[in-house]
Amino acid sequence: MTSSAIFLFLVMLALGSFVFARQKALAGAGGDPAKLHSLPRHYGYFAATCVLLPGLFAFGIWVIFGNSIIEGLILSGVPDRVFEQNGDQATLVLNRIRLAVENPNSPETDPDILAAAAKFQAIYLKGIWAAFVLSISLGLVGLYVAVNRTKPDFRARNKFERVVLITLGMSSVIAIATTLGIVASLLFESLRFFQEVSIAEFVFGLHWSPQTALRADQVASAGAFGAVPLFAGTLLISFIAMLVAGPIGLLAAIYLTQYASQRMRKIAKPMLEVLAGVPTVVYGFFAALTVAPLFRDMGITLGLDIASESALAAGIVMGIMIIPFVSSLSDDAITAVPKSLKDGSLALGATPSETIKQVVLPAALPGIVGAFLLAISRAVGETMIVVMAAGMQPNLTANPFEAVTTVTVQIVALLTGDQEFDSAKTLSAFALGLALFVSTMVLNVIALKIVRKYREVYD
Amino acid sequence: MKKFAAAAALITAATFSTTSAEAQSRDQIRIVGSSTVFPFATAVAEEFGRSTNFKTPIVESTGSGGGLKLFCSGIGTNHPDITNASRRIKASEVELCAKNGVTDIVEVKIGYDGIVLAASKNAAPMEVSLRDLYLALAAQVPAEGTEGGAGNMVPNPYKNWHEVNPALPNKPIVVLGPPPTSGTRDAFNELGIEGGCKTFAGMKALKSADKKLYKALCRGIREDGAYIEAGENDNLIVQKLQTNDDAVGIFGFSFLDQNGDVIQAFPVAKKVGEASQEPTFEAIADGSYPISRSLYFYVKKAHVDVVPGIREYLAEFTSDKAAGDFGYLADRGLIPLPDEDRAKFEQAASDLTNLELD
Amino acid sequence: MSDNAKEIKPTDWHSPEMNARIKRRYRKEKWFKGLGFTAVILAAMFLVTLIGRIAGDGLYGFVQTSIELDIPFEESILGNPREMSKADFEENVRRANMLRIIDASLQGHFPDVKSRRDRRELLRMVSTGARAQIRDMVLANPSLVGTTERVRLLASDDVDQLRKGRIDASEPEANRKVKDKELGWYQKLKEEGRVSLNFHTTFLTSGDSRDPELAGIWGATVGSALTLLVTLAIAFPIGVLTAIYLEEFAPKNRLTDLIEVNINNLAAVPSIVFGLLGLAVFLGVMHLPRSAPLVGGLTLALMTLPTIIIASRASIKAVPPSIRDAARGLGASPMQVVFHHVVPLAMPGILTGTIIGMAQALGETAPLLMIGMVAFIVDIPGGVTDAATALPVQIFLWADSPERAFVEKTSAAILVLLTFLIAMNGLAIWLRQKFEQHW
Repeated sequence: MTSSAIFLFLVMLALGSFVFARQKALAGAGGDPAKLHSLPRHYGYFAATCVLLPGLFAFGIWVIFGNSIIEGLILSGVPDRVFEQNGDQATLVLNRIRLAVENPNSPETDPDILAAAAKFQAIYLKGIWAAFVLSISLGLVGLYVAVNRTKPDFRARNKFERVVLITLGMSSVIAIATTLGIVASLLFESLRFFQEVSIAEFVFGLHWSPQTALRADQVASAGAFGAVPLFAGTLLISFIAMLVAGPIGLLAAIYLTQYASQRMRKIAKPMLEVLAGVPTVVYGFFAALTVAPLFRDMGITLGLDIASESALAAGIVMGIMIIPFVSSLSDDAITAVPKSLKDGSLALGATPSETIKQVVLPAALPGIVGAFLLAISRAVGETMIVVMAAGMQPNLTANPFEAVTTVTVQIVALLTGDQEFDSAKTLSAFALGLALFVSTMVLNVIALKIVRKYREVYD
Repeated sequence: MKKFAAAAALITAATFSTTSAEAQSRDQIRIVGSSTVFPFATAVAEEFGRSTNFKTPIVESTGSGGGLKLFCSGIGTNHPDITNASRRIKASEVELCAKNGVTDIVEVKIGYDGIVLAASKNAAPMEVSLRDLYLALAAQVPAEGTEGGAGNMVPNPYKNWHEVNPALPNKPIVVLGPPPTSGTRDAFNELGIEGGCKTFAGMKALKSADKKLYKALCRGIREDGAYIEAGENDNLIVQKLQTNDDAVGIFGFSFLDQNGDVIQAFPVAKKVGEASQEPTFEAIADGSYPISRSLYFYVKKAHVDVVPGIREYLAEFTSDKAAGDFGYLADRGLIPLPDEDRAKFEQAASDLTNLELD
Repeated sequence: MSDNAKEIKPTDWHSPEMNARIKRRYRKEKWFKGLGFTAVILAAMFLVTLIGRIAGDGLYGFVQTSIELDIPFEESILGNPREMSKADFEENVRRANMLRIIDASLQGHFPDVKSRRDRRELLRMVSTGARAQIRDMVLANPSLVGTTERVRLLASDDVDQLRKGRIDASEPEANRKVKDKELGWYQKLKEEGRVSLNFHTTFLTSGDSRDPELAGIWGATVGSALTLLVTLAIAFPIGVLTAIYLEEFAPKNRLTDLIEVNINNLAAVPSIVFGLLGLAVFLGVMHLPRSAPLVGGLTLALMTLPTIIIASRASIKAVPPSIRDAARGLGASPMQVVFHHVVPLAMPGILTGTIIGMAQALGETAPLLMIGMVAFIVDIPGGVTDAATALPVQIFLWADSPERAFVEKTSAAILVLLTFLIAMNGLAIWLRQKFEQHW
């Protein structure tokens, strides 16, 4: 007997009640479906729902709480001596019992543990049978209610559809819950951070050095939380990325929509899709392994001092990553320009390029701006490329040959490693996350607004 | 549509049947801690998994400080069993552990690691003394011409090795090193920076007068950009050195051993005027290289016999075939303990002797 | 200007100025077109360089060097299977120091290598996995004891790199990882025809390892599969139901407006923020196990949800109203209209969106970094609560490893990941083309 068996039983019971209720409804109408309010299967659906809902409710309670109940029961029977042996930690005692249960040849010798292990099986069985009986009997109660109501004039379809509608509505709330979860978790930790560090210092401070002492006797670093260098670094890299992705993406979109033959489009579009589908960790590996050393060597031959994790390398690779993003969004904006505008311009004798520059692009401009904004928000939030190819030094510089660090790099650096939720260092990652969330959201809202406004003009 | 619904239901059932009330025991050792010990611990873990019937332990690299913090957060199956450290556990950490119920800790010393100063093979070689290191990297240094002491300190003005000591080459001070969470950094501060600090008479006097201030002055590393925190990953520092000939890296000997073909180590002298010492296997083991430290790991006694395999893992780690002179850890750059010391810790590991700080 | 306007003359299109002007305009046209073409070619070049570079390294990751040695299965080390019980023999073999067997074999090949240090260096030419290889051979076939067999053993990563030409033997010794002595041994073995390059199945069938020649991606692949299973089980039903609700049933009020805006915004939230959410909620509040595919899957499900919802809504919207009207006209209830007609017709689009969302989740790394899936894990995970890594995380871990042989392993793992991704995207395109309906 396992939990999945309970689940399967419930499903089978539901199937059975579907058939039963359907037959009963049909029989009640003397075998003539036309005399029923709803189709026979709706009575079946209704009955199945009546079985499943309470049954799954009981099952859910078992899945969530069953474990702790059983553990409590087992532990209450274990003498205090064993607890003392294990530093009063219930999880340790439990682990010993579990190991003894799972492996009959385990080296465990403590008689109390062995006794508890022997009891475990019995209690577990009792628990799971209780869960089984409870959920099945709740299901049966549901079935009883449903069958009682299965009469030819019962509005089974409406009732059932009501349940479905509620389910639909509830799932759409999950999206909201996710946002709330993000905001709540970020805000909660950020607020704790801002109790230790003032908001003004975080937003306007020019010095980022989050290594606060982990222990009282460690005096190696002071700790400063001015996020300006991080945002400057993020902007620098995003700017370089847009210098690459903007022109190439836009020109590619123009060429593919206005000039390219059908065959070329057929090759080029999937190619751009592949470029978009390459995971960012692969771009990061490529940037760190190929592009960054290439630039460094180029810098040496040109007599330039280019850091091995220069903003340039990370920015250019990130630019490559967002080319497809820019091109597909601009593509949409350009194709949405009514053909009549273009034809009019061509008929007046303008060359195709003049038409594009003076008619198509201005008309598509809001869409293109929106596309660029979305691309920037993508670049700002990109993590793996910068983690692998950009630096860790919070430099406040506009020199693309130097190493800079970004918001996302710092989040990863702050959180991989020491995962305790109390030092200002860990909390600052959440403050950075909040800043990132807010800034990408603002960019996104503006972009969508622009795009929507533009749609109103031509549709 | 019905087929899809059925498929979705099946996937759901398959997924959740494995997560439901049948919780499993934890039969896998969980290890956290120092990135310096990480390559050794993973090698032992792998060998342990291969040669016994236990599951291979999970090893996370979190830094000595972070590891001890996780380790000391309590006993119970949701806390790690073992933490690796590239320095000895501190009294404050033992207290933190005790506060959270982690009272019985077994300490195992596995060997030594030298902290090396190294640069790309293309860089000009240089020989430094601890005093040079202190002057180049401390946050505050004695003002020119003085011997230090509380009143004579100025923020570190040096930008160039040449300014620190005219015998050193004329190149900017760019040092890539580990962050404060790392045991390498702790050891470097203590042995390297403080070692150089002590050579000033004024600082020595300060030590007896105001110990706290002395520690702050003698172990504080500059934060004006000359010392660059390069994360816990020593390997990253090695890669960065190859790309910047001016940069000097600070990391464990094992990484030098692994990358001896692309980077060179600088000899270090204990005192000005003394002969400087190359970081070699022998010099680190006998202590003549000034910046060397011991590597440890700590085990929660309460977890032994609860999480299966801990005893056997300890036996594997301390065995001759792993940590001995010709063991597989030596292949990976660990500098082994002398045989009698190793035997002592092998015994301690099998007896689960409690940690005693002196 | 107004003067000019008065005396307009018809333009002389054949005048030299006009000819020059037209030429200039055409030249501009050509330039512009060329610029667009260059942009497309540049994008293509980026892709080719990226894939080419990774494939160039990665293909080496699938092959591995082996050294064939005459291994004496000595009874004195392994024990005699005929004289002891099966269990005792197996225990004895497990305990036996296989290095001594390999050492004895190498002594046979290199009788002039005497010093202990040199012998250890010689042993290092063979992978540490060779011991397990010999052990498994003996366990599988106890009758080997007492014989000498020619066995193909895995070579260490240095020898492997040498065989693949990735360590340049012509460099001066000081700058080379493999010293002249080892190079001499290697040359001797090679001349005897004992060094060979073979397809490396271990790479596809084993978990992570500290030794590049023993490391494999099966553990990460299983971890990815388990993670995706959780993601699919959660994101697909919720995403589709949400899309149906919003597109077909939701009343037009501020709440549904809010949900709409919200979903569009969620789609643009950086993935790392979802990782922070997972860290704070699933690990911090709900205390789910660390490094588990369950947590990874939940986090990625929240991340893919907007993608699935948006694709499904577009697909449902594309079903023409006439179908709904016809069904309504025949007496179907709104629910029946949706589930009997609209959703089946929109299914290809919904599935395409889901597959693309899953492909995104498969390639995603950043959120998994936040929830402890970056760890050294050798065992293959057996369920969604076991500790596991995922393919992209494994790539990230290997990219950071000191041994240089991991570069080709990383690239090979990338090739495997890309294969999965391209297969998934191909499936999506095929579905779209096969079932797409034009109204």
